[in-house]
Amino acid sequence: MIKLIEKIEGEAKLDFNMKDGKIDFVDIAFMSTRNIENILKGKAAFDALVINPRVCGICGHAHLMATVQALESCYKDLQLTNKAKIIRELTLNFELIQNHFKWFYLTLLPLFGKKQQVLKATYPTQLMAKAIAIFGGQYPHTSYAVVGGVVCDITHTDLIKLQHYIEETVKFFEENLVRSQSQSFLESENVDDVLSKEGDLIEILKIIISNEWLELGKSYDRYIVFGANSYFTKGKSMKTRLSNNISLTSVKESKQETSYAKNVSFKNKYYEVGPLARAMINKTPLIKDAHKRYGDSMFSRILARVCEVSQLLHHSKKLIAELDLSEASYIKPSQEISKLTGAGSASVEAARGSLIHKVELENGLIKNYEIITPTQWNLSGGTKDNPGVSQKAMIGLEEISIAELVFKTFDVCSVCTTH
Amino acid sequence: MIEKREALAKMFSAKGSKINTNRGAEYYDSLMETMKKRLNELEQTAAASKMSITSVLEAEGLDRRDFMKWASAACAALMLPASFTPLIAQAAELMNRVPVIWIELQDCAGNSEAILRSDAPTIDELILETISLEFNETLMAAAGHQAEEHLEEAMHTFKGKYLCVVEGSIPLGMDGLYGTIGAKAETFKDHLLRVAKDSAAVVAVGTCATFGGVPAASPNPTGAVGVQDVVKGKAIINIPACPANPANITGTILHFVLTGQVPELDHLNRPKFAFGYRIHDNCERRAHFDAGEFVEEWGDKGAQNNFCLYKMGCKGPMTFNNCSIVRYNSGTNWPIGAGHGCIGCSEPQFWDKYAQERPMADTHFKAPGGGVEKTVDEFGLGLLTAAGIGIGIHAAASVLAGKKEGDE
Repeated sequence: MIKLIEKIEGEAKLDFNMKDGKIDFVDIAFMSTRNIENILKGKAAFDALVINPRVCGICGHAHLMATVQALESCYKDLQLTNKAKIIRELTLNFELIQNHFKWFYLTLLPLFGKKQQVLKATYPTQLMAKAIAIFGGQYPHTSYAVVGGVVCDITHTDLIKLQHYIEETVKFFEENLVRSQSQSFLESENVDDVLSKEGDLIEILKIIISNEWLELGKSYDRYIVFGANSYFTKGKSMKTRLSNNISLTSVKESKQETSYAKNVSFKNKYYEVGPLARAMINKTPLIKDAHKRYGDSMFSRILARVCEVSQLLHHSKKLIAELDLSEASYIKPSQEISKLTGAGSASVEAARGSLIHKVELENGLIKNYEIITPTQWNLSGGTKDNPGVSQKAMIGLEEISIAELVFKTFDVCSVCTTH
Repeated sequence: MIEKREALAKMFSAKGSKINTNRGAEYYDSLMETMKKRLNELEQTAAASKMSITSVLEAEGLDRRDFMKWASAACAALMLPASFTPLIAQAAELMNRVPVIWIELQDCAGNSEAILRSDAPTIDELILETISLEFNETLMAAAGHQAEEHLEEAMHTFKGKYLCVVEGSIPLGMDGLYGTIGAKAETFKDHLLRVAKDSAAVVAVGTCATFGGVPAASPNPTGAVGVQDVVKGKAIINIPACPANPANITGTILHFVLTGQVPELDHLNRPKFAFGYRIHDNCERRAHFDAGEFVEEWGDKGAQNNFCLYKMGCKGPMTFNNCSIVRYNSGTNWPIGAGHGCIGCSEPQFWDKYAQERPMADTHFKAPGGGVEKTVDEFGLGLLTAAGIGIGIHAAASVLAGKKEGDE
């Protein structure tokens, strides 16, 4: 039985094979592509800074960050000021935050039989988009990061505006998602604590409990995070067994016959990426507790994504306090781009998980470019014996509507996946 | 020098580049009559969506005053005299009479995203709650087969009346198989033709839908084209830019509600109210251009003082759009405000011709109005446009001035 899944920035075709009233296997296919990697070939290296954010209208900023870092990794001893680093990290945080709000109110709520709350989705999203625009000029599709730094030179007035946007977003979170001081939510180490509160998130979690859906959506319990920054840690975790020593060289992409999306694996194994993976590697106490009780079920996945909003808002405030506006925004690289030959790569944490860009340059021109997106990790289409992460999470379920819910807890993006 | 200045002045006062914001009392009187008649007719028809602006405003705790403030801003944006403000307000109240079917083709969802963050205090409510957005994948509740039925029903019910808004380009390569939609794997081309057929007009939103955009960048692997290359015999309004400015999308829909017609368009089918001026004409850094003060390198003194970005590759002088007035994200900022030059994202083929930091000197593209733009530091190479000459001399002179300063 074929079902079309929409509202994932495009659509995906899911073909369910049923056996004895249960899902035996799911074929996942994405039916459109723009072939961006081929467009990049032969173009001037810096063109990628403008083209790549356009890969995705939702996480385009993560693509800009991955591009600029991949290009920078081709240089020898390239320098960045702390100011440039902090600004880049702040804007990426804001992008993650706005994505999670939209996912919760536009995608998730209707799947729990509730009305889609457009205005609740747009209000905090707009605040975060404005916060990005202060540095980047516009959102979506900014190109304010360049090799060597950022082009913006913000002032203290801008910082005041920024703090206001963050405070308003925190307020929205505290009044809507989890009605409590975010500090106490952040420090909470116990799921029961959280469930004793009220709010839109709590309502959803309670529905999961009362419908006895706590076992649903479990997959391999295997996580990977590549994009390290001042908040996220790089590493992989098999259940709770953590290892921080991972390398991009073990990441393999392979084509699929029936879909424009490519599979991606680490040492031939499929891994889950995204907020739950990040929380597992970071050992976030609340998520660890959820995981101890309910494993990698959709309960943990939903809680981890919403929890990340609060964490990143808090962390952004800390970053702003560290910002020294007297530092330079840009340091000129010592090598000319037109004479640069070499290869590089970068990984950043996009809203939906690890995003990897790899580039090869020849005299400043792009010889090869490879993009691996988070949804490729979560939605790799495996075989019946070796299913992908989301496939495994859906196999064994009885109802297609529940399968769609599980599928969407991975926060799927179609346009990114096929790029 | 004076001759060149005159040539420059001549180019700007040429008939084709003129935006007439004062067409005289007779014109506006008759326009007002047309609009009143149209709005009265609309008032008689049944609402396509149950939501009315009054109930939305009440629910949001916004008063009539906020609404009228928005209406007068929208009135100015559409280049109409202030006396039209009550009509704009009435049109906004009747927005639920005009059904909109929004389809996504080969895109990044960036324009849907932009409109979710759209402009002005109450415009979100206006757009999302009162426009009868009959079909939009991101916002509607229905999905899959149910969505397909919903689309068929909307097309049938509002035959000949709905606006077909298109986001994304159309891949024609490999018989259109680079992009298919729905259970029957309908190609994007067939899908577009089917929805556009019975529409009142087609609005192409974003540079992908208008000119092919990113997917059409060389070597155009999927054979991507814009809506106007596929849909023939229909009124097409192009609202390019990447992403398209929500204010311009609203403006166009509002204009359609007001008049039942498409707004005045330029030779690329772009509404003149939005694309009548160049970025450069109203740029906040224009004074620095005129004073010969340029950013010479990212992060330099010029960058810190908001000098002109022309030498860093800003395409503002060649790009027609109203970003410098409307800005983005509820007027928070815009690329030049953040210190990044304009990349010319609302012009055809800008990916290949304009691009990132490539100074205009190295692009060798044909500037609007003809001619070849040459390097800023070597001028007098013939075949330059008036603007090219003016800008060339100007920037070169500033280099000399800069050198002098350095010597001192």
